Amino acid sequence: MRPSRPSATLSDDGDLPDEDLEDLYENAPCGYLSLRPDGRIHKVNQTFATWLGYEKVGLIGRRWLDLLNIAGKIYYETHFAPLLRMQGSFHEVALDLVTQVGTPLPVLVNANERRDAAGQVLFTRITVFNAKDRRRYERDLRDAQARADKAASALQALNAHLEARVTEAVAERLKAEEALRQSQKMEAIGQLTGGVAHDFNNLLTVMIGGVDAIVRQVERLPKSPEIARIRRSADMALHGARRAATLTARLLAFARRQPLAPKVIEPNRLISGLADLLQRTLGETVTLETVSGAGLWRALADPSELENALVNLCVNARDAMPEGGRLTIETSNAYLDEAYVATILEPVAPGQYVMVAVTDTGHGMTPDILAQVFEPFFTTKEVGKGTGLGLSQVYGFVRQSGGHVRIYSEVGQGTTIKLYLPRVTENVSEEARDSPNRKVDGGGEIILVVEDHEEVRAFSCGVLRELGYQVLEATTGRHALEILQRTSDVALVFTDVVLPDGMDGRALAEEMQRRRAGLKVLFTTGYTRNAIVHNGRLDADVEFLGKPFTFSDLAAKVRSMLDSE
Amino acid sequence: MSAIERNNVKVVGSGERAMVFAHGFGCDQNMWRFVAPAFEDSFRVVLFDHVGAGGSDLSVYDPDKYASLGGYADDLVEIGHELGLQGAVFVGHSVSAMIGALASLKAPGLFGSLVMVGPSPRYIDDGDYVGGFSEAQIEELLQFLGDNHMGWSAAMAPAIMGNPDRPELGEELTNSFCRTDPEIAKAFARTTFTSDNRADLPKVTARSLVLQCSEDIIAPTAVGEYVHSQLPNSELKIMRATGHCPNLSAPDETIAAIRDFV
Repeated sequence: MRPSRPSATLSDDGDLPDEDLEDLYENAPCGYLSLRPDGRIHKVNQTFATWLGYEKVGLIGRRWLDLLNIAGKIYYETHFAPLLRMQGSFHEVALDLVTQVGTPLPVLVNANERRDAAGQVLFTRITVFNAKDRRRYERDLRDAQARADKAASALQALNAHLEARVTEAVAERLKAEEALRQSQKMEAIGQLTGGVAHDFNNLLTVMIGGVDAIVRQVERLPKSPEIARIRRSADMALHGARRAATLTARLLAFARRQPLAPKVIEPNRLISGLADLLQRTLGETVTLETVSGAGLWRALADPSELENALVNLCVNARDAMPEGGRLTIETSNAYLDEAYVATILEPVAPGQYVMVAVTDTGHGMTPDILAQVFEPFFTTKEVGKGTGLGLSQVYGFVRQSGGHVRIYSEVGQGTTIKLYLPRVTENVSEEARDSPNRKVDGGGEIILVVEDHEEVRAFSCGVLRELGYQVLEATTGRHALEILQRTSDVALVFTDVVLPDGMDGRALAEEMQRRRAGLKVLFTTGYTRNAIVHNGRLDADVEFLGKPFTFSDLAAKVRSMLDSE
Repeated sequence: MSAIERNNVKVVGSGERAMVFAHGFGCDQNMWRFVAPAFEDSFRVVLFDHVGAGGSDLSVYDPDKYASLGGYADDLVEIGHELGLQGAVFVGHSVSAMIGALASLKAPGLFGSLVMVGPSPRYIDDGDYVGGFSEAQIEELLQFLGDNHMGWSAAMAPAIMGNPDRPELGEELTNSFCRTDPEIAKAFARTTFTSDNRADLPKVTARSLVLQCSEDIIAPTAVGEYVHSQLPNSELKIMRATGHCPNLSAPDETIAAIRDFV
């Protein structure tokens, strides 16, 4: 315990009374110890005893060493005791004492040997400063110094690499600009081909419709060689027009303006269902191998377009392996992380995808060819052998489906094309939207046809009338609404999506259904970019018939809608 | 670089035989300043600093090499070869007693006799073997050294270490005798206090003297007795001096013991 302060006052002559001297010793802001030559404590002040939580008397006779922690004991014996003996003192040595309750007390220690005239050690004076706060500052200082050193060396390294970094950044920028140009070019080509395909579809609808009508008329005539010739010519015309329709469909696919009907698909099942067809496509010299990833997620994509894409890829692969080889279709789950999608110029969302990879052992492609493969009409095949639309269909379809395409190719080694399709995350009905239950029956219901393109309208109305329906015609949305107002029992509205005069097919359908709940609406369009299709996907509640359509397409669709609930 | 430069070797005195003094953990060749001069008239006295201590070349410090006492013994052998020593007397303090024993095994004939002052082949207790420290204590030591600049205040230690061009800074702050790089001292502590050279003792053929102090917390008497019992050709002398450094606290007694032995 700290003794009470001495009450004595200074004497008149200014000498310090003994009590004052004792107070100076006992209650100094530092600990004092006197050690005997053997290192045992001979005298100690109150301050030191208080710091360590001992009674003063309990410290007398103890070894000074025993008050240090283990590191202190060892260092004292090996470093500081020798030092003291050699130079007679040491100064500000940092040690840790152990208090009575076992907690460490950081201190700074000074020591001086006091010797007699013959040089024999009388005692050792130890002065102890409490360094609790100071040790903490020192640690902060050391940490700050370490951080500053680290920052300085980082800065140095940065400077050293600045030039290289600038070069790298410029190269990166150039690459990004090149990629942007490429993407803008693809977009422009897409606009152009989409527009052309749209107009062609209207024309093809008329042509197919006309030839279709000829065929149906001809079938009713008595058979003769002349009739047979007309029939053959009509069939050839129809065949040609359908091929043209396939081409425009691919153009639309590339332009990402084809109407997609995405469904929940199991890629492994789809591929095994397609295997026969693919093997036939590949021919006998190419071995088809499928590697199905276990626990494969389900994907959201238009199954028929995915089949088209796989067929297109197989055709390309076959052509790349004229001497035969192996084609591997592999599936697996994939995760495209932030870092990966950041390297792609096209907007691809990071997340979970189902990967379908098609790998051939063919001749491969050079980098400059690779840069162009997705462009429509780009082909390395001989004139007449390819349309140059296969890979552009694949690209357009996958991009429109919210997926990603990656192509790897090495000359002489082969090519791998990886399709990443978005994993299903929402509940989407698995049932087929467009059931192939094709009826060609007609009926007597009233059908309102809304179409601004005169020839297409004439064809559609002709078909429907031939099937026995009562047909009303309108050229604009407002016109159609007037007719609907007058006619109470319209069973179905067949409307183009793109209409003049400010009201498109979708707005028209909404207005009609507002006025007459449950009214059935069938949309058609050469391409569907705005009203009917969101991001290239059919709205779930929308019925759709793409142009060009045939007599039986229209007949079946109309009948199935009228028959549905 | 020669071992002579690397280890700051000093050769004084004259005599047919050489006497090599090796300091232990915690100091440098100054450790022998009260003892070595007594042998200069009859021996070629060789003093040196281990790498990391005193005037040695800190730049050649290799943590891997000096992670075991064998690395220090290799240096000692190189010094002996460069000086052409044969049948010399080796006087090693503390951990250097074992370094000398290892060197005598690596280079037979280099040392004719070994004087071991406060030796310990293993500092950690092991079954019946008493080393003086529990495993937990040594672990605590190493842990503490990892977080602390032992001995010097933390703010000063970087100044000592960071100014190799101005060694006087460190000298002013601490001392002018036992200079050790604080970081190297930590590594040396690990090497020393985790060493176990018990198996080497029975192989030592040189005649040996074990000088054992009373009340030595680094190498207790039981350890000195163990060393004596394991060395095939040794004498044990229990000294009146206390502590771990009789060469400083009791130089006369130390000198007399060595002189009697050689």
